[in-house]
Amino acid sequence: MANEKEHGSGSVEPGDTSKRVGAEVIRERGVDPEELREKLIDAIGAEFTTYYYYTNLRMHLAGEEDYKEITEDARLEDRAHFELVVPRVYELEGSLPNDIRDFADRASCPDAEVPTPMDGSGEFDTSELEVEDILEVLLEAERCAIRTWSEICDMTRGADPRTYDMAQRILNEEMDHEAWFIELLSKERDGEINPAGHFARGEPGDAPYTKNNPFNDSA
Amino acid sequence: MTQSSDDTWTVTIVVPEESALDEAGETHKVEISEDETILAAARSAGVWLTADCQQGWCITCAARLVDGDVVHPNARRYDTEDREAGYILTCTAKPRADSTVVVEQYDEFLEYRAANNKPPGSSKLSD
Repeated sequence: MANEKEHGSGSVEPGDTSKRVGAEVIRERGVDPEELREKLIDAIGAEFTTYYYYTNLRMHLAGEEDYKEITEDARLEDRAHFELVVPRVYELEGSLPNDIRDFADRASCPDAEVPTPMDGSGEFDTSELEVEDILEVLLEAERCAIRTWSEICDMTRGADPRTYDMAQRILNEEMDHEAWFIELLSKERDGEINPAGHFARGEPGDAPYTKNNPFNDSA
Repeated sequence: MTQSSDDTWTVTIVVPEESALDEAGETHKVEISEDETILAAARSAGVWLTADCQQGWCITCAARLVDGDVVHPNARRYDTEDREAGYILTCTAKPRADSTVVVEQYDEFLEYRAANNKPPGSSKLSD
């Protein structure tokens, strides 16, 4: 061709499929994409385990239908956070662990277990299980998530706008969740009115920040 | 010992040269009450240390205790062997004596826990 021109390439040779410019541009801006990717796996491990544990916590809020609804919103939104970021892990040339036990073990937040021991028959001993104890587990799980996604925002700010955008969207919802559980725990445990200042989600687990760009619809 | 009347301890924080923090190579002395964690007190004093969960679980904030004494009343994943190996988690560690800690020891602690078949090292560093 008479008008042949070389493609601009940076550190990636034209036609090289062994590297991703999407990762190299992050490295060029001072962030190690492999370190970031591993941190993302830890973070979505926590979102995934939280989704599981919240299922159990919700079940044990027996008779507290309003608490159940709020917990259901948080539960489904945590699953949305997992699904939002999974594609980013693969873009950064990572993958989910093959063994779910490894995934849970590396989750960056503690297991949000039902705060009661098991009885002798392998069932939860619910004889002394208090609603306020469940709400405290939920609150501290949300606080852990806020710290995690704040760290990822710090790590990616000014260097990786794609991951930063995801992290800040998730952070918005985790802060909503913390406010919900502060309100509920304040009332349940302390008899105090401590409004979250939020309106209800439109649908359960609406995830207004992390599902408003629903690229998972095709999955 | 220089324990004051309000149970405040002097914790010397050594930031290794190879750390990615702005404070790399610096040493800071921070006064910390017995109810404060090393991480929170350091950050309040303007010494930014790396941390994540702040519940004694993820081990991002791992450090080495060179001398002194700390307790971890609220750590979710920290045991006697970790303590005997000289590691602490600054996010939940509260001083009980004047102490010196070398911070930013995540990689080392991760390897230690992997070698002892404990998470998250066992899940992150296994083949």
